[in-house]
Amino acid sequence: MFITDMMKTDLIAVRPETTLVDAIQLMETGNFRHLPVIDGDGKLVGMVTDRDMRSAKPSTFLSEEEYQLTFDKVMQHTVGEIMTTELLTVAPYFTLQDALLVMRQKKVGALPVVDEKGRLTGIMSTRDLLKAFVNIMGIGEPGTLLCILVNEQPGQLKKIVDIVTEENVSMGSVLVARDWDEKKRAIFPYLLTNNVIAIKKKLLDQGFELIDPMGWYLGHLPQKK
Amino acid sequence: MNTTGFVFDERYLLHKTFNGHPECAERLLSIIGGLSTAGLLEKLMLIKAEPADQRWIEAVHNIRYIMKFEEACLWGLPDFDHADNSICRDTYEVAQLAVGGVLKAIDAVMQGEVTNAFCAVRPPGHHAEVNQALGFCYFNNVAIGARYLQRQYGVDKVCIIDFDVHHGNGTQHIFDTDNTVFYYSIHEHPSFAYPGTGREFETGYSGGEGFTLNSTILPGRGDEEYREKLLGDLVPAFESFAPEAVLLSAGFDAHESDLMSGTSLTTEGYDFINDTIMELVNTHTNGKVVSVLEGGYQLDILPVLVTNHIRKLMGV
Repeated sequence: MFITDMMKTDLIAVRPETTLVDAIQLMETGNFRHLPVIDGDGKLVGMVTDRDMRSAKPSTFLSEEEYQLTFDKVMQHTVGEIMTTELLTVAPYFTLQDALLVMRQKKVGALPVVDEKGRLTGIMSTRDLLKAFVNIMGIGEPGTLLCILVNEQPGQLKKIVDIVTEENVSMGSVLVARDWDEKKRAIFPYLLTNNVIAIKKKLLDQGFELIDPMGWYLGHLPQKK
Repeated sequence: MNTTGFVFDERYLLHKTFNGHPECAERLLSIIGGLSTAGLLEKLMLIKAEPADQRWIEAVHNIRYIMKFEEACLWGLPDFDHADNSICRDTYEVAQLAVGGVLKAIDAVMQGEVTNAFCAVRPPGHHAEVNQALGFCYFNNVAIGARYLQRQYGVDKVCIIDFDVHHGNGTQHIFDTDNTVFYYSIHEHPSFAYPGTGREFETGYSGGEGFTLNSTILPGRGDEEYREKLLGDLVPAFESFAPEAVLLSAGFDAHESDLMSGTSLTTEGYDFINDTIMELVNTHTNGKVVSVLEGGYQLDILPVLVTNHIRKLMGV
């Protein structure tokens, strides 16, 4: 899954000479936290975040009058003066996995996506990432989660998939917990159906164990010392 | 002892689902068997079902959806909207009759012929959306009932209590923005159970904000958590909403022996649900309640649970 499928492409960008008053207006009406700054060729030259904006604003401890006075003065400065220019950008061929790992490691909330000429083509934010995960887990559609304990040996998942297929049911996703127990794995198929009785019966008949997910959760909580 | 109405019609058996489908005609036969063995059947006042007038179905469902459903049945398609929703040529008429049965029960309660009523109807309804069939449901029997109470009898405030183990997504969405219908649902946590909606942060929106309440039960938590949530969530919300009439989406699939779910509710746990609801209804709505069958698929336990439920309605 490439980030080009998930990133936001209908972007609002500003020039370095845009005033803070205009920029803040754009961010507030558009309800976004990352404002890209581009030059005349569409090249990305900086980013302004809502945090940068907050630091630029006067202190809330000032009196109302003082605040307004300072605010009006500050807001005439340009985004070029406060924007971050050391940018972490990614290329359109980055995958969801890349974005996930980069954002986690670098602790950033959004990644500007630029082409080989440095032109801005999109922004991948944590919000887009969350949306992608809802999609990947299949939970945008009605379904039921099964919790199955299997021995750690090849072919287990196939047996489960065969049973689900025999019952003419589609899968939204399958998650595997590898650290369940020694030599055991837990498999969580999300089935796009309400009709799970026949599948559960067949699984039990074939020797699979249906587990109580809460047992796993509680059993794995850190023990109090 | 209350006079309790009972809606059943042999034509409800004509909705044939595919072999092995859990929502089968035998469910109703098992209920009739259970009530008969318990000697309750002759003590109930049988209410005859009639097909609902289409205008009442249109009070909830989109007319194009109704037509599409009728066509799918007439053409003999195997299912409608999703492979879960198994249909036959009679399904459309049976679904109309299920709605009609609920409306007849409402008539009987509102005209004082009975104190309350149980509707042994199928297909069930609470997953059905305005224009989509889901989870074995085609017409939202209870939602249509709520609109009927309001428009035919001028009832201002209706409360729907849904104790099926699955969240009644259809009912919630139909009344999402409505502050005249309070929807309470207690169900297995949506991360584990169908349809994956009904989280506690779903509380209605715009005009209906605060008129939807979801209590979720984690797998295996059973009676204790049901007790806690019913007393902590339902009772105060019900008292503050102060409805004039109550409809129940009565699902019996939360039982520990029903493979459809993992909540591990016991037979006694179901009694606690019955007692809590009956106390609310008796104190606040003069006992006016119409209970409508939703799920419950374990054919050994379903008749036991329905019999217990009806005993509580009768007050015996």
